[in-house]
Amino acid sequence: MTPPVSQVDVSTLEVGTSVPPLRRTITQTDMVAYAGATWDWHQLHYDANYLAAKQLPAAVVDGQVFGALLVEQAQDWIGPAAWVQAVDFRFKNLVFAGETVECTATVREVITTDEGTMIVLDCEVGVVGDKARVAAAPCSVTVLVR
Amino acid sequence: MGLLTDELRARIGETAVYTAPEPVGRAAIRYYAMAVGDDNPLYTDAEAAHHAGYRDVIAPPTWVTETNQYMSGVRNHEGYMGHSWGIEVPNSRLVRGGNSYTFDNPVYPEDIITATWEIVDATERTTSKGQDMLIVTSQATYTNQHGALIGTNTETLIWTALS
Repeated sequence: MTPPVSQVDVSTLEVGTSVPPLRRTITQTDMVAYAGATWDWHQLHYDANYLAAKQLPAAVVDGQVFGALLVEQAQDWIGPAAWVQAVDFRFKNLVFAGETVECTATVREVITTDEGTMIVLDCEVGVVGDKARVAAAPCSVTVLVR
Repeated sequence: MGLLTDELRARIGETAVYTAPEPVGRAAIRYYAMAVGDDNPLYTDAEAAHHAGYRDVIAPPTWVTETNQYMSGVRNHEGYMGHSWGIEVPNSRLVRGGNSYTFDNPVYPEDIITATWEIVDATERTTSKGQDMLIVTSQATYTNQHGALIGTNTETLIWTALS
């Protein structure tokens, strides 16, 4: 078996190199699917009466989905040779059903190890559109390219 | 100050262990990948996974961090059935601070996952605006049926006193 080759020439990476952004609209339907897949039936994620009582404008996106998007962004960039070793994210603002988020990332550090090349990314998850704001920051993703 | 009680301080080190009653299964992996919108073939196509050096499809790395799926129980009044320490802080507002994950080994369909949660820290501080805050840090360690480390999930919960 031939081991996978990185889609990115890691030898050309420099501090500050940008990773292609990942943009995703998170609909109420997506959120119901996520709630089911994660066995999380909290009304915060779908129930209109519950949300109205809490004076929330719409269902609240489960913040852990941002971790999944940050992983997807890094893996789509490098390809199957990527092994995500670590993901870290701090919540800044709630994101609501129907909003669009964009994950942005740049290379913070490239480290050569015995196992391969370790790439540390500085990332941010932002809401785009009329109510643009930071959803999660600072965030980081560490990827090992074997 | 005063949000950090002796009772809570004494709980640092407390653990809660949840072992899934069955293997992960391909359906759970495919469902999660579809729900987050990640079409990476490593999660659904065994051949693509073989090419990448895995013996079978793997779960998306963050899949393991969703502890509810290993638990049994009943839903609470808000519909939630998940891991909770049951920490009650009167007259406060709870927000999630964030998560830190580490991933050591892939999850395969036949794996049976155990999540071991621990309260690793509880501290309090006063913000620049004079608000008291309680910060509780928990860490889950995920292992498979062979005892291999899959990863960890460190989570912060923040209670802010209401004035």
